[in-house]
Amino acid sequence: MTTLLKIQNLKKQFGGLTAVNDVSFSVAEGETVALLGPNGSGKTTVINMISGAFAPTSGRIVLAGENIAGLAPNRIAHKGIARTFQLVRILPSLSVAENVMAALAFRPNHLWGTEARDRAEHLLLEVGLGGRGHEHANDLTYIDQKRMELARALAAEPRLLLLDEWLSGLNPTELGVGIDLITSLGQRGMTILLVEHIMEAVRALCSRAVVMNVGTKIADGPTADVLADPAVIVAYLGDGHA
Amino acid sequence: MLSTLITGLVLGGTYALVAMGLTLQYGISRIMNLAYGETLIFAAFAAFLLFTTFGINPILGLVIILPVAFAVGYVIYGVMMQPLVTRSKKSGTLEVDSILATFGLLFVIQGVMLVAFGSNYTSYNYLNVGINVLGANIAANRLLAFALAVIIGATLFYVLTRTRWGTTIRAIAVNPNAAPLVGIDVNRTARFAFALGTMLAASGGVMISMYQTFNASMGVVFTMKALVIVIMGGLGNLMGALVAGLLLGVVETLVATYVDPGLTLAATYLIFLAVLLWKPAGLFGKAAGR
Amino acid sequence: MTRTILGFALVALGLAALAWLPTQVGAYGVGLLLGMTGYVVLASAWALFSGPTRYVSLATVAFFGIGAYTVAVLSETLPYWAVLLVAAGIGLAVALVVGLATLRLAGVYFVIFTFGLAELIRQLVTWYEVNVTGTLGRYIFLPISPEQIYWQLLALAALTIGIGWLIARSRLGLALKVIGDDETVAAHTGIDISGVKLALFAVSATIITLVGAIQAPRWTYVEPSIVFNPTISFLTLIMALLGGANRLWGPALGAIPLFLLFEWLSANFPSHYSIILGLMFIAIVFVVPRGVLAGVEDLWKRLRRKGEAA
Repeated sequence: MTTLLKIQNLKKQFGGLTAVNDVSFSVAEGETVALLGPNGSGKTTVINMISGAFAPTSGRIVLAGENIAGLAPNRIAHKGIARTFQLVRILPSLSVAENVMAALAFRPNHLWGTEARDRAEHLLLEVGLGGRGHEHANDLTYIDQKRMELARALAAEPRLLLLDEWLSGLNPTELGVGIDLITSLGQRGMTILLVEHIMEAVRALCSRAVVMNVGTKIADGPTADVLADPAVIVAYLGDGHA
Repeated sequence: MLSTLITGLVLGGTYALVAMGLTLQYGISRIMNLAYGETLIFAAFAAFLLFTTFGINPILGLVIILPVAFAVGYVIYGVMMQPLVTRSKKSGTLEVDSILATFGLLFVIQGVMLVAFGSNYTSYNYLNVGINVLGANIAANRLLAFALAVIIGATLFYVLTRTRWGTTIRAIAVNPNAAPLVGIDVNRTARFAFALGTMLAASGGVMISMYQTFNASMGVVFTMKALVIVIMGGLGNLMGALVAGLLLGVVETLVATYVDPGLTLAATYLIFLAVLLWKPAGLFGKAAGR
Repeated sequence: MTRTILGFALVALGLAALAWLPTQVGAYGVGLLLGMTGYVVLASAWALFSGPTRYVSLATVAFFGIGAYTVAVLSETLPYWAVLLVAAGIGLAVALVVGLATLRLAGVYFVIFTFGLAELIRQLVTWYEVNVTGTLGRYIFLPISPEQIYWQLLALAALTIGIGWLIARSRLGLALKVIGDDETVAAHTGIDISGVKLALFAVSATIITLVGAIQAPRWTYVEPSIVFNPTISFLTLIMALLGGANRLWGPALGAIPLFLLFEWLSANFPSHYSIILGLMFIAIVFVVPRGVLAGVEDLWKRLRRKGEAA
């Protein structure tokens, strides 16, 4: 397996606070990797640095051999990284189809006009929103907004997909649907890095997991091993449970 | 050279005071006030009227003008800005709305002054005698203006850094959203800060009337200079405004003396451009001096 | 589709009628038409950039003045069309410099910068004329009649509104909507936000420069304080706001009545002109903040909803 994403000694400081300290890990082509850790451990900060929302204080983020650390988010998007947001972000004044077309229209080999419309409809079908492109994005239910956001990320045809707690807030039935959806993406060879709190989903989806605590990496390996690691259990549940 | 430097510092003192008022209005009240310079010129005319008609010297004039300016600022905020602030809680358009509304205000005040005083340059003679400072000859009125700027500026600084009320104000500048959580009435403080800013503009106007000619359509230039100083010092940063104001006064005087008086504004803008390109958060960073 | 064709036919018909109008109204009428069309272009061009981005540009007269002054300087050395091209080029270059310096930053920096830009350029030109060329004030002797100026402005108006129409249907238009909704999403879907803003600002500023250049022959005598008159920025802004800066026809709709009103005001109340202007400005911000067109649309929607409910 070739390495797609390589994070090296990544560090981020906000003023005096070190949110991410010397984190290194890599993601191979076609792999689905979980980035785990309790609240405030720096996972989302890592995702934000990979996607370009923040520039790292130091360290390298290498995508397919190219260091992309510190590039503007639109440049990074063009390098082939797409993401969803922890709190779903829709474009409220646009229709569902237009939300997806926005990503189609500004990717490197952009689509426009009927081509874009057809492709958007196809992507919406894929995430379970077939035939609902004309609806207002604002009128969608929470799960459907999440689906739309995923379709928008997929529209970019990314080499690496970043999912920031995409499954959170779903009811058990929706969760099953969501897991199936991500599984099918993985089976098609998509490389995915996901931040998730729902362990059931992590076990089902990810062959490997990286765990962070207070800004540093504390474990990295096959999911089952990592979740059984005493250090990880302490980080999640506190000393009393180890 | 030395006399140029001192003249520059004296001018910069007024600038710094004026810019501190603007930074109070923007940093705490969140109002970008484009009519700021008009307020200043209005106070200059008031000082002129008091001096020429009633024979009241500008120092006593300050005692009359400053409370009036504070009251006027208080009323303007209540009548014009408060509704915009309330409205923007939903739409998030305070910045644009305040710019547009104060732009309108600019023309109203300027129009009133044009009707009342015409468009000619005005000045009066007060303490226009040379005084020797370190071998440089400086007009007494300029020195007095500088002394006043130092007194007013120092009082303001003391109030903002040493009193409970000052802490309140600075808390809002740092985090307007968290301020209500610790029991701060943001609206009342914003109104107070706006009025205080108006008062500082007026004090600057009185000082300028003491040593410089002025006319009804000059306000815009002062607003611009104050804005440039505020940005150089970092938005909402009082200490930054002070240093940047002094700096601008010196640069202007140097350019006027050694290059060409017609290019002072160009010099101001050149500095502005450099700051925007190189350090948009201001010369002293964001957190400095608060 | 048929509706679009019908719309185009109507616009073409309207343009033909407007182009024919000068033969009917006499010299004073042509002067009014010319001034009005000038402001229609200025307001529409202003809104092209400031409408969707909400960056309040106070630099209109800076570009207008650049256009006019370029004509004054070059009208005797270059053919007319070349002068227009040079003027547009200078306007574009200045817009790019200003845009690159300010559009990466928060909107307030842009406002402040444009606020003084006209004054800066006016002082620089004055300084240059006095110190380098030794002349302040220039004459423009170009054999261009008011009718011809009017026709050029009319063509520019059609072009400007046409550009607005095209942008709304282009990727640039979609980019603007996305940026308006959520800048973070815009950046992460690959939109170059400052690039989009810069492009729009450049287009808008170039058109405004051309208005100044085309109108310059009207003056015969030009000096910096005439062509860099800040009232022009102010009027443009208020017209676009009144009609609605986010609507294709909004600025034009605001420009026509306000232009006539201001003509009447400056003839009858010259000394109270600026007070009345300022008060109107404040009134617009308070009463119709999104423009008359948007206000009417809201009202229409509410009425229809009421009708459906009944």
